[in-house]
Amino acid sequence: MASEAPLGAPTEKTQTQGAISNLPPRILEVQRLVKAFGGLRAVDDCSFTVARGSITGLIGPNGAGKSTVANLITGFLRADAGAVLFDGANIARLPIHRIAQCGLTRTFQITRELERMTVTENLLAAPHHQLGESFWLGLLSTPAVRRQEEENLQRALRLLRDFDLYDLRDEYAANLSGGQRRLLELARVVMTQPTLLLLDEPFAGINPVLCARLSESIGALCRDLGITFLIIEHNLAMVERLCNTVIVMALGRVIAEGSMAELRENPAVVDAYLGEG
Amino acid sequence: MQGFFSVYSPSNFVIVDSYWTETCICGLYGYFVASQLARSAHGVSIVRLQTASCYEEHLAFREEVCHLLQTLLLSLGFGLITASVLAIAAVGITLQFGVTNYLNLAYGDLLTFGVYVAFVANQRFGLSIWLGLLAAILLTSLLAWLINLLVLRPFTDRGTSRVMMLVVTVGVSLILQNVLLALFGEQFQKYAVDTGTPLHLGPFLFTPLQLGILGLAVGTMLAIHLLLRSTRLGKAMRAVSDSPELARISGINTRQIVNVAWLIAGGLAGLSGVVLALNVVTFTPTLGFGFIFVIFAAMVLGGIGSPYGAMLGALVVGIATEVSAIFLPSEYKTAIALVILILVLLLRPQGIFALRRYT
Amino acid sequence: MPPFFFYLLTLATFAVIYGVLVIGLNIHWGYTGILDFMYIAFVAVGGYVTAQLGLPPAQPAFGETYMLGFNWSFFPALLGGGLAAVLLALVVGLLSLHRLRSDYFSIVTVAISLILWTVAGNATPLVNGWDGITGVPQPLADVLNLDPNGYGLFYLGLCSVILILVYLFAQRLYSSPFGRALRSVREDEMVAQGLGKNVFTLRLRAFVIGAFIAGIGGGLLVTYVDAFNPSAWTSPETFFLWAALLLGGSANNRGAMLGALLVPVLFAEATRFLPNFYSPEFVNASRYIVVGILLILVVRFRPQGLIAERKLRVPKSKLLPLVASTASPESTAHLAQPGAVSFLPPEHNSSESKEAHHGE
Repeated sequence: MASEAPLGAPTEKTQTQGAISNLPPRILEVQRLVKAFGGLRAVDDCSFTVARGSITGLIGPNGAGKSTVANLITGFLRADAGAVLFDGANIARLPIHRIAQCGLTRTFQITRELERMTVTENLLAAPHHQLGESFWLGLLSTPAVRRQEEENLQRALRLLRDFDLYDLRDEYAANLSGGQRRLLELARVVMTQPTLLLLDEPFAGINPVLCARLSESIGALCRDLGITFLIIEHNLAMVERLCNTVIVMALGRVIAEGSMAELRENPAVVDAYLGEG
Repeated sequence: MQGFFSVYSPSNFVIVDSYWTETCICGLYGYFVASQLARSAHGVSIVRLQTASCYEEHLAFREEVCHLLQTLLLSLGFGLITASVLAIAAVGITLQFGVTNYLNLAYGDLLTFGVYVAFVANQRFGLSIWLGLLAAILLTSLLAWLINLLVLRPFTDRGTSRVMMLVVTVGVSLILQNVLLALFGEQFQKYAVDTGTPLHLGPFLFTPLQLGILGLAVGTMLAIHLLLRSTRLGKAMRAVSDSPELARISGINTRQIVNVAWLIAGGLAGLSGVVLALNVVTFTPTLGFGFIFVIFAAMVLGGIGSPYGAMLGALVVGIATEVSAIFLPSEYKTAIALVILILVLLLRPQGIFALRRYT
Repeated sequence: MPPFFFYLLTLATFAVIYGVLVIGLNIHWGYTGILDFMYIAFVAVGGYVTAQLGLPPAQPAFGETYMLGFNWSFFPALLGGGLAAVLLALVVGLLSLHRLRSDYFSIVTVAISLILWTVAGNATPLVNGWDGITGVPQPLADVLNLDPNGYGLFYLGLCSVILILVYLFAQRLYSSPFGRALRSVREDEMVAQGLGKNVFTLRLRAFVIGAFIAGIGGGLLVTYVDAFNPSAWTSPETFFLWAALLLGGSANNRGAMLGALLVPVLFAEATRFLPNFYSPEFVNASRYIVVGILLILVVRFRPQGLIAERKLRVPKSKLLPLVASTASPESTAHLAQPGAVSFLPPEHNSSESKEAHHGE
């Protein structure tokens, strides 16, 4: 398996797409992020970039600051210093919902559903810029609103089918099994039509069959829809299989970057992992 | 630039006013400043009067300021007593909140329960108020423990959210309040107690009863301090308050701690209820419910979860409400505490001693 | 009309007005998850303003002092009451919805409610203090010229029309994308933010909308009862409405109306005939004891209420056309091969749409 090209390798297609749309090849640039809690620097001058159209992994021993970085990037925490450039614009000071509207969405370590809403509604709540979410337009239910609702519904149902959740479309999200919840969460963020998806330990605690399913979906999403992925993960086997670039963090900063094969040879990386365990 | 200074000194105040600025400085320091000013203003000596009518005005002004200061100090004294009452209750609710992590709107009604236990003992059974106080402490303690056991624990055991627990405590509050209302009606009651004649202690005016309240409060604070610092129980309570999971892992029986916390909180509620009733003299069954927000104000001001913060918060809130009565009609006293509560929650929710992370 | 019939008329009118009030509270709690313990203050503001707009200017000589007194006709006055409540909600919401977690927010709302209550009672020039306002003009009373029974029926009809309008409005709101966004905020604020929803403005809007309905209901209430003073809107009144909502069914407007029928009307009236043991307040107090017990029991045994929130299913007409093989959700093994999963929309498989896509 290790010899196969990782699923997330930028293909000709995504690269030409990037060239056509004249967007910078680096979709995300983290520049010298700092975050301290009390006296402890959880993130200490952290910098890395994520290439457009890639599936990039972010790994590191416990306490390396990966979750903190994820929260900083997506706006759930405010950085003490540093910048986060998304498509060239600094999003470091923006509130969470504005960052999401720019096209950067995330999943959570412990899956969070909208429990008392159906699976379909979970997806329908996701898209940005819904006309009907404004009070007046929603109340009046203009033709434009209805058209958008219709489109979103069709897209949601197709997505549910692609994720094999179609039969559960009218179930309350609270009634789903653990694996189904992970799929639902992924489907939900895909509904937002993101350009960059940050996945927070998506493979934690799930069975190998579902792991394969998930990684297949991630690869397909990257390939077919051009979504860039930044995956924080402890499961190094999955990271190796999925990601073409891997970033290693330890003690709040980036210590290495490259393919898994390269990193395995890197003494600093080995040290970091051995030293903490 | 002509002016005059005068030095006047009843009971340690030195009031200096200058004719064109009408400032007032107090204390020995003021005398020193005045003499400096006098020396610097060419040739004006300290005691020199200009005309008779100026002197009249000057006297009147001095009178006013003196009076204001006296009222202020009196209010400070009353504030101290209110703070004492408040401190006992605030520490109680902080101990309970620290250990259970949900706000309890029924706490004020536990106070009222204690008030009426003492009332029954005092007025219906003719016992001394101090025995009534004891009965109040014991019975309220018991009631609090029972409420936790029978009503609240079934909810916390199944992981009911903080928000719904608040709704449940609202239910408990309504029940407690209205049982008392049903039994005793809404007319004002009072204890049969001799407050004693007011004593002058410096600028303050206290009755022996109020001094007793003050002493009780100080004693209670000391007792709680010793409990938290020196006993195993106290340390366990602090551990559970800081982090329930860690405490459980360390082998502390969190359930037992919660039970004991309710016992103590209940006892403190009963105690503070009776002293509150003693302080305000007349009371109805809604006494506690109005007071709960003053207690909350003290708790959040000091820093939610910190008993010492609660004591400090009680001091500030107690004095603030009494001093406000100089400027506003006294009906607004509680409103002042409410305003403090709102402002603290909006502006500095972690309070003065930011102990608990505000999440 | 026999007195029993008039009694039923009174009951029905109260039920309808409380129905309006509880639907408004439903928008706060059931739709958006706002723990609003000052709801009765919105009702009071709406009621006071409606009354004062309709009344003639105050006559201090007769011992009444209040503001406004513009002599407006009923419907503008009612609207004015609603807008006054909106104003209060805006102030409170802008200052505190943003920063407070829900249980602290609820404490702040009770505090605000108490402050308003204290000020209303003590600052007499505002709304005539503890004595309150009386003699509120009745809508269309001169025009219709009916006897009290007939007028009662008319007023019931008027309130019912308003209730129907409010109900339809609330239902439409619920199933709209706006309502869905509110529910996402209710369910999980972090997820909602992560999906790009501005949680603060959504909450504020819901707060204001619910307050508007409260104000309208308050106007209807005060006009009906014809006298309004602070003793009518103490804190326990909010919890009365809360008990109605929780028992009836939060997030369900029919449940809200059921709760409005059951809690305030039925049992308040049912306990009316109890004798006053111990003290004259016995009956009144026992009602609130029942409210307290009801709150605890509902949260414990049926937190969704009698009529639970209705599930919004995908209508049959919108379903996707059936595909040949629909694998069960659990058997995913066959999908683990590369290339088996594709997220391309079906149009991409044909060449002409590919060109069309490039051309966009």
